Amino acid sequence: MRRLTTESDVTTEKFVATERPWNVVVWDDPVTPMSVVVLVFKKIFGYSNNKCTELMLKVHHEGRAIVWSGQRNRAESYCVKLQVAGLQSTIELDK
Amino acid sequence: MAGNRLFVRRRDGRIEVRLNEAGREIAREAFGRVVIAERDPDHVWHAGLNAPIDPSSDVDDPVSTLSRQNEIATNAELAIMTLNEQFLNEGEAWAWLSTFQLALRSTAVANGLVSDEKLDAASPVVLDFVRTLQQFLFSLAECL
Repeated sequence: MRRLTTESDVTTEKFVATERPWNVVVWDDPVTPMSVVVLVFKKIFGYSNNKCTELMLKVHHEGRAIVWSGQRNRAESYCVKLQVAGLQSTIELDK
Repeated sequence: MAGNRLFVRRRDGRIEVRLNEAGREIAREAFGRVVIAERDPDHVWHAGLNAPIDPSSDVDDPVSTLSRQNEIATNAELAIMTLNEQFLNEGEAWAWLSTFQLALRSTAVANGLVSDEKLDAASPVVLDFVRTLQQFLFSLAECL
C-alpha cells in the first residue's frame, strides 16, 4: 500500500533521564551558638552573610535546612566538613 | 567591651587568647576529650562524634568516615599543641573553634540535651560546662 504521508508510523517518546540530586541537611540542636552556624556556613560554602543567616534561621525555626544540593560525592564531602566543624549534618536523596 | 573578650583579633591578623589559667584548663579538658573519644568507641562522646553521614544506608562510605576521623583528630591535636600560645593564626583559631564546637555538641548528645527544656533541666555541672564552651565559641566566632 502506498504511503500517503511521510510521517512515521512509529511513535517515539523523548525524555532525558536525570539523576536526582543529593541534599546536604543541617539539623538544629539546642546548644550551638547561632553565630557559629553562620560562620561555619560562610567558611565551608562561601555563601554571603545574608544567605548564611537565612539558612541558620531556617535550621533554628524549622529544625533542619537543606544547605547544598548536587552530586553525591560532593554532598558527602560537604557533610563531612560540616561534621568536622561540629554541626549535625546528613545527606539525603532529593524527593 | 574589648576588655571582657576572651579572644581578640589583633591588627596583624593574629587572634590573641585572653583565657586565664582556669579557662585554659577547661579548653585542655575539652580538646583532650575529643582526641580520646575519637579513638575510643566506648567513650561517652564517641557516638556524638560519629553521627551517620547517610542515615538511609546501613553503612557509611568508609572514605568519608575516615576523612572525618582524620580531620577531627588533626584539628583537636593542633588545638592541644597550641593550648599555651598567646596568639593563634587563622588555621589554629579555626581548629580551636571546631574542637570547642565538637566538645559542646558531644556533651549535649551524651547528656540527652536534645531540646531547650532538657538543657534547662541539666545538672549544674553539665550546664556550667556547656555555658563556658558557648562563651568561648561566641568570643572566638567574633574574631573569625
